[in-house]
Amino acid sequence: MDERAIYIFVLVVYMGLLAAVGILTSRRLKSAEDFHIGGRRIGPWVTALSYVAAYFSSVLIIGGGGFGYQYGMATLWIGAVNVLVGCALAWIVLGKRVREFTSRLGTMSVPGFLAERFRAKEARILSAVVVSVFLIIYNVSILQGMGRAFEVLMGIPYTYGVLLSGLIIIAYVSLGGYLAVVWTGFFQAWVMGVGLILLAVAALQAVGGLTAANVALAAVDPGLVETPGVWGWPGLVSYSLIVSFGAWGMPQLVVRFYSIKSVSALRVGAVVATIGGAMALLPYLTGAIARVLHPGLANPDLAIPTLTQYVLSPWGAAIFLAAVIAAGMSTFASVLIIASTAVVRDFYQKGLGKPLSEEHAVHYSRLSSVVVGLISLLIALRPPAMILVLAAFAWAAIASTCLWPILFGIYWKGVTRGGVLASMVGGLTTSLAWMGLHSPFGVHGFIPGIAVGFILIVVLSRLTPKLPSEHLAHVWGTDKKARD
Amino acid sequence: MGPFATPWLTFLAWFVAAASVLVAAGWAVFAFRRKKGS
Repeated sequence: MDERAIYIFVLVVYMGLLAAVGILTSRRLKSAEDFHIGGRRIGPWVTALSYVAAYFSSVLIIGGGGFGYQYGMATLWIGAVNVLVGCALAWIVLGKRVREFTSRLGTMSVPGFLAERFRAKEARILSAVVVSVFLIIYNVSILQGMGRAFEVLMGIPYTYGVLLSGLIIIAYVSLGGYLAVVWTGFFQAWVMGVGLILLAVAALQAVGGLTAANVALAAVDPGLVETPGVWGWPGLVSYSLIVSFGAWGMPQLVVRFYSIKSVSALRVGAVVATIGGAMALLPYLTGAIARVLHPGLANPDLAIPTLTQYVLSPWGAAIFLAAVIAAGMSTFASVLIIASTAVVRDFYQKGLGKPLSEEHAVHYSRLSSVVVGLISLLIALRPPAMILVLAAFAWAAIASTCLWPILFGIYWKGVTRGGVLASMVGGLTTSLAWMGLHSPFGVHGFIPGIAVGFILIVVLSRLTPKLPSEHLAHVWGTDKKARD
Repeated sequence: MGPFATPWLTFLAWFVAAASVLVAAGWAVFAFRRKKGS
């Protein structure tokens, strides 16, 4: 079998499996709660591995490899902070309370939680706008990453790669909703893990082991093995924080805690998600090894594709390609379901006050996921420069808006409506303005965004009227009804 | 210089990743015991 035929065979089998999951899960979909959060009955393994799959996109694999190539072994710290803060601590700090609070308040989305927790309709509208707009922009960058992967690794034109992957995702998300997203995510996490381990082992063999890789890198530039090395502390620390602590404010990840079947399931989930999250170190490692094996690449983002063709057999390369596509598709699908929830549930039903029957709610949600997906797809076919600039801001913008309201909302009874709204607006505008100024001092806009958001939520919550104590008792589950 | 010709501060990244798994496992055991005890 020639190389191209192997690639096509692996992809057809893989896409076929995804479509089958979409069809199977669509049969279990009966209510709006099923469509948006899987009826809150997802087990720990599926929740944890779909969390990992949603967390790490193809941008991480290709772009992470590029960072490893450019800045060396210090970038392993980005992966390590991902595992500690983005996986272990996120599950420990957020999991239990998010599950309990959202269940008590009967909310299915981050905008919904903010509105009910703080009795603030404006928080719902603002977060729904930020989430849907920036997640669509984020989706465009994911689709673009997949299109480039098809182009570089398989020689398939960019447009066909984008259309093929985009349409398959839209089909299974609109058919199976959240259940399809988490089950395909579970499956895709395994594909990602196998592909990344395969490439890392082959790269280490080709370079003669980790010691040989470090010695060869140090010979090129000692800054490529040291920390912070050639990148410097501001860039390394702020980037590590945005992709780790920033995850705490990303709705497509936080919603996993809404949907897990029980609080006790979180314990197994935390361990599985942390072990699965450890794969985050591998793109940085392989990118750094590529610097030894293929010095002088014109673009650091070519490090992983070039290495793949050099160290893997055609079957291995096909599996790795499937891993890159899996990483992109699982994140796109997770983002798509969140954006469609924001549009139907938070805008239409709650924001505009249009009641919908269960049947209509499912129907509109399906329609919304198709429309949101097609918008992303159409923009991705010919993305304007502005969109790509904004894509780099998407995580920072969403996290600066949502992170503190979620975190304070589950831990501090003293947060007020005024404090939350000021934090959301202040955090968002600061991060966007900072990035508009081309990130002074090499610091990512997420850092000033959350700093301003933190100050505003703490200070204004002390100056503005408190929420009624009976409301807080209901949220914390200490009211009479909850005790009974 | 740490293991595998890696400077100690860079090697610490591997250690932090491995320790994270222990943190998650430790929390899971602690949460299980606390629930069992209550």
